[in-house]
Amino acid sequence: METTLAQHIVTDLPQVTALGIIIKAIIILAVISAIAGFGTYIERKVLAFMQRRLGPMHVGPFGLLQIAADGIKLFTKEDIIPQNANKFIFMIAPIITAATAFIALSSVPVFPDFTIPEFIPLLGGVFVPSIASDLNIGILFVLGMMAAGLYGPLLAGMSQANKWGIIGAARTAVQFLSYEVVTGLSILAPIMLVGSLSFVDFNNYQQEGVLSWMIWQQPVAFVLFLIAGFAETNRTPFDLLEHEAEVVSGYATEYSGMRWGMFFIGEYANMITISIIASIVFLGGYDSASMFGWLTIMLKIAFFFFLMLWVRAAWPHVRPDQLMWLCWKVLMPLALVNILITAIVMMV
Amino acid sequence: MSLEQFKNRNVGIHTYKTLDVGTPPNTGMEKFTQVVTRAVKGELFVGLWVVMREMINTLVKGDVHTVKYPFEKMPISPRYRAIHDMLRLLESGNYRCIGCGLCEKICISNCISMDTRYDEEQRKEVSEYTINFGRCIFCGYCAEVCPELAIVHGPRYENASEQRAGYSLFEDMLTPIDKLNLQQEYDGFGAVSPNADENITQTPLAY
Amino acid sequence: MSEVQTVDNMISITIDGTEFKAKEGEFILNAARANDVFIPAICYLTRCSPTLACRICLVEADGKQVYACNAKVKEGMAITVDTPNILEERRAIMEVYDVNHPLQCGVCDKSGECELQNYTLELGVDSQSYMIPDGKRETTDWSSVLHYDSGLCIVCERCTTVCKDMIGDAAITTVKRGGAELDKGYKETMPKDAYSMWNKLQKSIIAPSNGTNFTNCSDCGECIAVCPVGALASVDFVYTSNAWDLKRVPAVAAHSSDGAQIYYEVKPTSIEDRTEKIYRITNEWSYVSLDGSARFAYDFQNTTATKDEEAFKNAINAFKKADTIRFNSMITNEEAFMLQTLKEKMGIKLYNPEVKAFQTFLHHYEAASGNSLWTTDTDAIMKKSDFVISIGAALRNDSPAMKYAFNNVQKLNKGAGFYFHPVGDTLIPTFGKNVQVFNHKVGLEEAALYLVLDLFADKDKLSSEVKDYIESFKNTETKTIKEKKIVTVREMVLNEESGEEEEVSKKVTEMVDKEISVTSNGLVSLLGGDASKFDDVFAKMMKKKEHFSMMLGEDLYYHDKAENIAKLVALVEATCNIDVVMTPPKSNALGVALLCELDDAQSGYTIGYNENGDFRLSALGTGDIDIPAMNQQEGTLTSIAKRVLPTNAAVEYNGYELNDFMKELVDAPALTIDWTVMLPTDKGFKSLEFDTLPNSFSNDGKDNRGYRLETCHVEAQLPEVAECDQSAVLEGEIAYRCNPARQFNDFTDKSHEIFETFSLYASVEKAESLGDKVEVVFENGSITLDVVADAKILGDIVKVPDFKSAQGVYDLFAGSRYQTVTLRKV
Repeated sequence: METTLAQHIVTDLPQVTALGIIIKAIIILAVISAIAGFGTYIERKVLAFMQRRLGPMHVGPFGLLQIAADGIKLFTKEDIIPQNANKFIFMIAPIITAATAFIALSSVPVFPDFTIPEFIPLLGGVFVPSIASDLNIGILFVLGMMAAGLYGPLLAGMSQANKWGIIGAARTAVQFLSYEVVTGLSILAPIMLVGSLSFVDFNNYQQEGVLSWMIWQQPVAFVLFLIAGFAETNRTPFDLLEHEAEVVSGYATEYSGMRWGMFFIGEYANMITISIIASIVFLGGYDSASMFGWLTIMLKIAFFFFLMLWVRAAWPHVRPDQLMWLCWKVLMPLALVNILITAIVMMV
Repeated sequence: MSLEQFKNRNVGIHTYKTLDVGTPPNTGMEKFTQVVTRAVKGELFVGLWVVMREMINTLVKGDVHTVKYPFEKMPISPRYRAIHDMLRLLESGNYRCIGCGLCEKICISNCISMDTRYDEEQRKEVSEYTINFGRCIFCGYCAEVCPELAIVHGPRYENASEQRAGYSLFEDMLTPIDKLNLQQEYDGFGAVSPNADENITQTPLAY
Repeated sequence: MSEVQTVDNMISITIDGTEFKAKEGEFILNAARANDVFIPAICYLTRCSPTLACRICLVEADGKQVYACNAKVKEGMAITVDTPNILEERRAIMEVYDVNHPLQCGVCDKSGECELQNYTLELGVDSQSYMIPDGKRETTDWSSVLHYDSGLCIVCERCTTVCKDMIGDAAITTVKRGGAELDKGYKETMPKDAYSMWNKLQKSIIAPSNGTNFTNCSDCGECIAVCPVGALASVDFVYTSNAWDLKRVPAVAAHSSDGAQIYYEVKPTSIEDRTEKIYRITNEWSYVSLDGSARFAYDFQNTTATKDEEAFKNAINAFKKADTIRFNSMITNEEAFMLQTLKEKMGIKLYNPEVKAFQTFLHHYEAASGNSLWTTDTDAIMKKSDFVISIGAALRNDSPAMKYAFNNVQKLNKGAGFYFHPVGDTLIPTFGKNVQVFNHKVGLEEAALYLVLDLFADKDKLSSEVKDYIESFKNTETKTIKEKKIVTVREMVLNEESGEEEEVSKKVTEMVDKEISVTSNGLVSLLGGDASKFDDVFAKMMKKKEHFSMMLGEDLYYHDKAENIAKLVALVEATCNIDVVMTPPKSNALGVALLCELDDAQSGYTIGYNENGDFRLSALGTGDIDIPAMNQQEGTLTSIAKRVLPTNAAVEYNGYELNDFMKELVDAPALTIDWTVMLPTDKGFKSLEFDTLPNSFSNDGKDNRGYRLETCHVEAQLPEVAECDQSAVLEGEIAYRCNPARQFNDFTDKSHEIFETFSLYASVEKAESLGDKVEVVFENGSITLDVVADAKILGDIVKVPDFKSAQGVYDLFAGSRYQTVTLRKV
């Protein structure tokens, strides 16, 4: 068997960890970006159907190329930076949002480990682990990265010299920080049960059929996490950061073109991240044993994504004060109580 | 569409219904109770169901409300006041407009003007007529005041223009002579009222 | 003198329970109108005789139904405007007017200002009880300006009345039209007045009175103005605009010196061209009557003017080196005053051939009489006078206001009149039975004034020389005339029944010779009258006459003996009970005469202001620089009524005006009208701002426009007058400088509705003998003109117009109005 350099690299790929990770990172970046873009199309379509409209129809079949049109528009649009803005911060703020969202994705598993079938040239037989980097503190890392994403909107709003931006930034700080607490507390109970922070361990914890899913043991934690997830991703009914009727466009008021687009790629990436976490932590994740494990988790992720759109179509959003009231007076106490009860049950 | 329903202008408060919204919660406990009640009662899920139902209807039954506007146009009410049409007499094809100038006079945005002259047949002839659609507010007074039903609001409502002031001349609004058979008699704004006959006192004629 | 309204002859009447003051002998309708009380009336015109055509002015006076237009007020009369019976009559009359009146108000020119519409609405006619078959009624053009639509005519006879009573042409009249007979049943069922009105309406229509299809009149268009419906319109105006689209610009008629009130009615020219254009002229026809030039000569504006800076510089240089400014009377008081300022500050001579003679005459008159201006005006003559004398004015051509006044006095005041003029006229004698025309020889105007002195003067006041001079014309001779004598004759007649003879007395007229001594007046025969019949005629004319007036025309100003004539006029005023009015030759001649010190001749470098010159300022657009025409500028004009009247700009003007030159040359305020307040008060002007000048009439017809010039009177000795200089009489072929009726100047000529040409006007016979074209040879030049026959001229004197300033007719006539000329056929 003739060995070329290429073959050598390919066969040794799993071993050359750094290179494998880079390739995975690129794949994640590309795929998730594409999905984020496609998500906008899906969102518009789903919302349209729920309001008995047609949604985008004119660009490509069923408006499928609308994403391309939007992309071209975003890339070619003038990048306006306000005169009195802090230019440097204004420019990097969207990158923080997008970057943190993608970095968070680096430690979430999306499908089971697999080996690339032999019949595929070049890559055949290569073992692919389920995750870009299986950190032993996976959950903590993801939540941390998402929390760091707060700096995107916050800095964007503060740097743009616009009162709507300031209000948007203020709301960002308040809302994200508050709900960070609920997210963390709500997911603490499952962590206690599993005894690990690794997503792979979570996945493996729930492999005895549907009944072993965490949601049955921790329904309250699930609901709390979901609510907090909506808030963290800035989705209806908690889309206060850039609520048009109140603060024009909040932290994104002065942004245009691709910089503006990056906020939304970040938002959609976050939506996917939350969907993946919810799927793995509460709905059993992927089934490593089954052939179709990757498909089940895809469906679960898709369900959560759809749920976010569904909710947006159905519910009005809440007032900022109601949001805070809900967080500190309802959700956080509930989460604490949940942890307490979980702990007592475990001790007993 | 009959005009009767439009002529009823007795719109009063008796047609409104008052909704009982109850008393808003005051204490923290009451608010909490309200949240819990609403969450548990499933009102949120009713909302979710409604939109889901609509989505299913849309996808399965094809029950879509969207009008694909430039390709598909809705029929317009005869009372709609769009771009004016100048009508002809059906029998002779002559202009209905006699150049009386009432439309010019009544026009509150002062956008109609006309030139008239004494023609060879000793009649008053409209030699030029124009409406400045940059100014026209489509109030319909001209159609209402016209004694000959000559100027009416037609069905053409697409009047976007590259210029702020779009002028329309007599020929643009006039029914083309070869399309006289397609000319619609107008039953909308400014039309003869349904009870016009009752309002007229008969004039004796000696021949 | 002219203030008719005095407190003495006011009586009080009651209308609908309210007490009002009225002039004694006034018609109820006029009294009501003067007091702002509304009585409906269609056919009555304030200054004309009642026609009783419409009959809706029916009112109840002291319990009796009378027509307000011809019943006079009495002290303590109680008048009720509306009684149920009268309202019924009125409604029936309006219904009858609406029978067969076309309902196409939409296309009618009168719609919106139509009295038929107004009264139909006012009297609430919402249904029709009468009917009659209608015949075809034709639309015709009576002349180049008069358009008559008989289908719309309600035969109110206002047009014929005004034409006869005011204008004097009597060019139109009612004729039979052969309409269907009324159903006899109506006589019983409908109100009496409505029936008789309908009966008449159904039978008549208006037509030219000369039997042809065309009127032969002065084309003044007053019939159009008074028409209450759309039947009469100007040919050019028909169907071009609705009444309500036109914006009214109050102004003064610019061409004649009448100073008639007009409105320029303007609106944008067309859809493409939004610049405003004058569509027609209207007037307050109840109080003022226009002549043809005032009504139809309106589009003389300077349209092509721009601010040409090069021309402006040239103009300034021209002014700086100018020796003379030649101008005419088509100029506002303000601009005339500017020219006078130029004269004072820059020493430029002012030359104005139109006004100079008039100004000199005025100075002579003032010196002789002590009056700064004449003592009456045409309105006052119409209101009061019953005897008018016209000397030296071609009434038909020179001054429409005097013509109307002369005629109106005959018609309304049962007046009489003398008309002294060398050129025979067929129209003047038709004004009234008591009009005596003297076609005297050219130059005998002094004799005319001596005759006036003879007939009217208080002989005690006259100096013995004058008395003797007048007496020297009288010669008494003995004549044998046959006289009728009634003689009673007795004769025996056989009575056939009884067979007896009876004595019967019978009255038989016999002609008997009688010798009488007759005093014949040599002045009368000198002036071309029949001295033998004159005394009787004059005695008849003088019956019941109380107020006498005299109108003086342009001939006198240009007369060789103008100074003596002015003294004679002063003498007439001092010794007779006669008021005098003089006609300023053209538009603002009086203003110019008062404001400018005119020089006798032009010399050196001349600036022509609408006149010939080395540098020409022209409102006609043909000069070296443009100036505004009279319908493009604000300012004041001085009229025959001695009023300073404000006029306004009707159409836009984009060029320079005289005030712009003034600003460069001397100190001048920002606007032309800023000069109004500066007009010299020692000449009678008042120090009033232009914008404060009123421009209206009172309901009783009192003219409130502008202000009246202050006139002063100083006691003066009776002037020494010279005898009539018969050597100045012109013989042979004579040309008279006189314009056709509607032409006054270049501006009337420019107007498209004025058709009178620049030609030689002569009587029909004279025109035949002259052929188509003649060269008129004067002492200092000649002019070649087409010959036009004017059927209203009598005699051999030909009229040469002067309305084209470029033709230099004034220079040809060399300071006179009559010249002996040689007429050569060309």
